[in-house]
Amino acid sequence: MQRKVAVVAQKQINSADVGMPRERMLYELVKSLYEEVGISRDDIDTFVLCSNDFNAGHTISNVFEDCPVGAYMKDETKVEADGVWAATYALARILSGLYETALVVGNSQGGSVMRPYLMMDYQLAPVYDRQLGLLNELSAAGLQAHAFLAKKGLTPDTLDEIAARNLADAAKNPDAFNGKAGASAADVAATDMLYEPLRKGHCYPFTDGACALLIASEEKAKKLTDRPAWIRGVGDSIDTYYPERDVVDVKSVKLAGERAAAMAGIGLKDLDLVELSAKFAHQEPILLEGLGLPADGGAASVSPSGGAFGAYAFNAAGLVRIAECFKQLTGSAGDTQVEGAGYALAHGQDGLCMQHNAVMIMSSEEG
Amino acid sequence: MAYNKDLETREVQATWDVTTYQYKLDGRGAKVLADGMKEKTIRGIKCPQCGRVYVPGPTYCRVCYIDIDDVVDCSDEGVVMSYCIEMADVRGNPMDEHRVSAMIKFDGADTWFIGTVHGIDPMDVKIGMKVKAIWKDVTEGNLGDIQRFEPV
Repeated sequence: MQRKVAVVAQKQINSADVGMPRERMLYELVKSLYEEVGISRDDIDTFVLCSNDFNAGHTISNVFEDCPVGAYMKDETKVEADGVWAATYALARILSGLYETALVVGNSQGGSVMRPYLMMDYQLAPVYDRQLGLLNELSAAGLQAHAFLAKKGLTPDTLDEIAARNLADAAKNPDAFNGKAGASAADVAATDMLYEPLRKGHCYPFTDGACALLIASEEKAKKLTDRPAWIRGVGDSIDTYYPERDVVDVKSVKLAGERAAAMAGIGLKDLDLVELSAKFAHQEPILLEGLGLPADGGAASVSPSGGAFGAYAFNAAGLVRIAECFKQLTGSAGDTQVEGAGYALAHGQDGLCMQHNAVMIMSSEEG
Repeated sequence: MAYNKDLETREVQATWDVTTYQYKLDGRGAKVLADGMKEKTIRGIKCPQCGRVYVPGPTYCRVCYIDIDDVVDCSDEGVVMSYCIEMADVRGNPMDEHRVSAMIKFDGADTWFIGTVHGIDPMDVKIGMKVKAIWKDVTEGNLGDIQRFEPV
C-alpha cells in the first residue's frame, strides 16, 4: 500500500430493539466515539456511510444519517452493501492522499423496523424467482445447508454445534446481544425448525444496530491513539447470481482471501483469528474451507466474538467484524480475548448464499 | 448472432409491493409542535449555541452537534420563501383546480414549512409576501390543524 492506514477507534450498538429512531441511534453512537477519542466532527476529513434503502424504508437512505454522524457540510459518500466494502472505500480514500481521517458508519434496524429476510425477496430476479414465490433468504440458506451437509456426509448435529459455540462466545461479548452463556448443541436443537435443516438457532438474529469506525493515516493514527490496528490488505470477489453457481464451493471468498493475503504479504494460515459473517451455521465451515483453513480454524480462532450469531445488523455487520478484530489486536477484547493476536481477518458478505465476499486483514504490528 | 431487440426484448408487468415498516421518530419535537397547534401556536426547539430555531424541533442541533431542548413559540405568520403552482399531479394528470403550494418561514423560525396559499389569484403570489396560518375552528393537535395560508 502507498500509505500505512489504521483503525483508531470503534463503537457499536446492537439490540433486538434499540428503542430509538435511526437518527438518534447514530447521533448517540458517533458522539460517544468523538468523546472517547477526544476529537470533534471537525477532525473528520471524509465520512463514508453504509446503509440500504430497503432497510431504511425510503430511498437515499443516508439522507437522515449525515447530520447525526456530524457530517453537516462535510465531505460524505455512501456505500449500499455490507460494511466491509464501506471500510475498504474509506481505506481507498485515505490511500488517495486526499484525506487523513475517515469515519465509517453502517446501520440498519432489522430488529424493530422491518423484517430483514424480506430484503432478499426484493433482490430476486423480478420476472422469474420473485414471481414463482419459492425462493427467499431462508429457503436459499436451507438449500445451501442441505447441499453442504450432503457433500461432507454430515448431519444437522454439526450445525447445532457451530451455533452453540458462537452463542456461548457471544455471551462473553458485551457488544453482542444474542448470546447464551454455556449454550449447548441440545439448546440449539430445541429451537424451532424453520426451513429444514435450518432451525431458528442456526440463523442470525434480527438486529437493530450501528457501528462506527475511525480510520486514519499513519501520521494521524499515531496522534490519536497508542494502540491502532493496522489495515494490511483487502480483497473482494463477486460470483454469479444464486442459481448459476455451486453454493457450497464458494470461490469468491477464496479469491477475496488470497487477494487480501497477497496485499498483506502473509499466508492465510498465519492468521490468529477470523471474524466471519456466517449468517447461518453452515456458512461458517464453507467460509473456512474457502479461506483454506480447517473446519475448526486450525491455528486461527473462529469468530471469538460470537460472529454473526451475536448480532447481525445489515450494513453494520461487516464493520462489527472489523471492530471485533480491532478489539482483539489492541488487547481490548475482554473475556473473548485471543492471547497474542497479531493478524486478524474480518469478513463481510452480500447477496443470496454469499454471492459477494469481501475481507480485510489487519495486524497489531505496524509492518 | 447480433441481438435483435425488436424480436427478443419482451416486457413483463410486475409490481414491487414493498413491505410494511414500523418507522420510529423522535417524538419530542413532534409532540411540542402538535401540542402547540392545539393551542393555535407554532412551537419549535431552539439551539442555545447558534440560536437556530427548528420547526419541528430535532433532539440535537445539526450545526453545533449538541443536544437541544429549549421550546420556543414562533408566530403563525410568516414569509413565502418560494412557491409553485400545481397544475398536474406527479403522474402527469392535469388537475381540475390549480393549487399554490409554498414554503413558508414562520416569523421566529429558521426552517421552512410546507403549506398551501389560498385567497389570492395564483398569478399574484410573490416570493417574500407575508402570509398567515388559517386554523381550523376546533384544533386537534396535529398537522391538519392548519387548513391553509392566506395573505396578511
